[in-house]
Amino acid sequence: MNDIAIHIDSVSKAFGARPVLKDISFTVCNRQSVLLCGVNGAGKSTLINIISGLLQPDRGSVGLLGCNIDKYPQRAKCQLGVILHKPMVYPELTVTENLSFFANLYGVNKSRDRINELLEEVGIWPYRYDRAGILSHGLLQRLAIARALVHRPGILLADEPFAGLDIEACEHLISILNNFVDNSGAVFMTSHNTHIGLRCCSRAMVLNKAKLIFDADVDDIDADCFSKDFVSYAGGAG
Amino acid sequence: MRKLLLIVTFILTLASIWIALTLGAVEGPTANPESPVRNIVYIHVPGSICALFCFVVLLTGSVGYLVTSRPKWDILAAASAEAGTIFAAISNVTGSVFSRAEWNIWWTPSPRLISAAILLLLYIVYLILRSSLAASPRRKARICAVFGIVAFIDVPMVIISARFIPDIHRPDFSFSSSWQSAAFVLSVAAMMLLGAVMISFKADILRIKNRLDEQSFS
Amino acid sequence: MKYFLLSFKAVFIKDVITELRARQVLPTMIVLGVLIVWILRTAAEAVSGGALIVGPVSLWLGVLFAGLLAQERSFAAEQEQNCICGLLLAPVDEGTIYLSKLLVNIVMLCIFELILVPVVIAAFRLNVSGRWLALVGFLLLGNVAISSVGTLFSAIVQLTRTRGSLLSVLVLVILMPMMIPATFALLAIFNSIGDELAGTGALAYVGSIRAAAGYLVVFDAVFVVVCWLLFSFAIKE
Repeated sequence: MNDIAIHIDSVSKAFGARPVLKDISFTVCNRQSVLLCGVNGAGKSTLINIISGLLQPDRGSVGLLGCNIDKYPQRAKCQLGVILHKPMVYPELTVTENLSFFANLYGVNKSRDRINELLEEVGIWPYRYDRAGILSHGLLQRLAIARALVHRPGILLADEPFAGLDIEACEHLISILNNFVDNSGAVFMTSHNTHIGLRCCSRAMVLNKAKLIFDADVDDIDADCFSKDFVSYAGGAG
Repeated sequence: MRKLLLIVTFILTLASIWIALTLGAVEGPTANPESPVRNIVYIHVPGSICALFCFVVLLTGSVGYLVTSRPKWDILAAASAEAGTIFAAISNVTGSVFSRAEWNIWWTPSPRLISAAILLLLYIVYLILRSSLAASPRRKARICAVFGIVAFIDVPMVIISARFIPDIHRPDFSFSSSWQSAAFVLSVAAMMLLGAVMISFKADILRIKNRLDEQSFS
Repeated sequence: MKYFLLSFKAVFIKDVITELRARQVLPTMIVLGVLIVWILRTAAEAVSGGALIVGPVSLWLGVLFAGLLAQERSFAAEQEQNCICGLLLAPVDEGTIYLSKLLVNIVMLCIFELILVPVVIAAFRLNVSGRWLALVGFLLLGNVAISSVGTLFSAIVQLTRTRGSLLSVLVLVILMPMMIPATFALLAIFNSIGDELAGTGALAYVGSIRAAAGYLVVFDAVFVVVCWLLFSFAIKE
């Protein structure tokens, strides 16, 4: 019924007197995947944290599938799956226990089936009885993805999801993300690896010096030039 | 305005110290009515009152911050905590001196002494917490406010629980003349004003410090 | 309500499983408790009849310090893999997280006391003489009080450089008042004061066991509610 997945309205955030985000506004629709680029310290992670509700913006509002996260935090949180730098799983619990813990927190119905389905989908079925603490980084990242998707969210936020993954794992993640978008989800991610990022996203944005300076469909972008130096590419195009 | 307040406080404080040093001893239920140490009551009691008063300000600042998220409330709480520490220390030290002179012991577990000591400890722990938090200014202020509120609730808890210990010497004073009562009221007023001035100066310093911190960021 | 129970149970079970697997906290708590008892037992030799007084006191000391270990752990574990963000991202009420962590800490203290109380009774040759119910009641009230403040402050100290050592100061200064009636009650239960003296001010205590229990109930109620309400301020970014 509502095509707008993420609605950011003039969001600003400063740490002390240093502005990190200045008056950012955009919308992301369902079935859209957005890549957010920016040099270190441009404010990408801060933006992800604000959309996920972990940080409060100084000004502006965030709406997720029509819910304002300030007014209806519980409803908005149910719509949101988040992958951050750290996997956010408990090393002492097994893979399945981790997933069923979060499924319970989100109040997922028939969590058993959902978890098995996810374990197959992200490819960690053989490790389901292993403790999360002994998994390798790549497998942990897959578990983090499963954790983020366990409650069937409509929106997936991902901060550097490709960091530390090998080529095969990257391909696998891209197919999971594409699958998610095809099921009418929206993806918003940051990545340093613009090559891979551009392959799986349909839209790209560039954040520089706390401002959104570039926003275009991936089809209209010269991928090679963009990957080489997106800041000056964005400056030239904008 | 501030200058006038400062001058008034200065004069009042001097006056109350003069009274404390010269005026005849107040009468109390103890053995040595001639001892000049008893005049410490003109410092000790106002000091204790101010220590409690600062805690009320600390609570106001803490609750104000949690409700509004405005930094000025946090600054108020921080400033009153520092002033309160000084008054609580004055109250404890003068009390201890008095106790030694009158009853020959520095400290003994009795309701008022325990309450005063814990009050001082609460202030000190608040300041320790404040200085050791490594977080964004917003979060730091919020956490200090949380501790400030919990600490404030602890004060009546202390006063009630200390009653499980017998009050061996209840220092209730009586004043022999109305002149002495007036002097006592004056010393309380002087100390309260001093507290207010200290809080407002400290708040100014903190405000400037915050601004400097912000500028060094950018 | 159903959702509250579901998430409450999920966090509780998760913490219990973690502790059972890692076995980090309980053994440390027990060893610390036994060490405290042992040191005080040695000191109690110095005075005749000292064991009667020091025994109950050592029990509270053990519970206080062991409780600090449990509380410190309860949010340090969340911080490790940034799991606390995972909890905050889920649509769980922060108060629910607080309550279930509180229950975990209370349960840990209860298990700890199952071992420490017999140790104390044996070491100091104390005599409970049929007041078991009162003893259990006071220990439970004490556990709630110790954990209520500790669970809140555990979340706070994760942001500081000194963590555990700061936690001990924060918790102990708030618990100071509650220790007066709690110690008094244990002294009375173990007959250290004697019925004819209880309530007369002997051994520097006035009041009755009933009054001490009343105080502890009020203390528990006030601090659990206040900490529960303030918890969301302490944990949110």
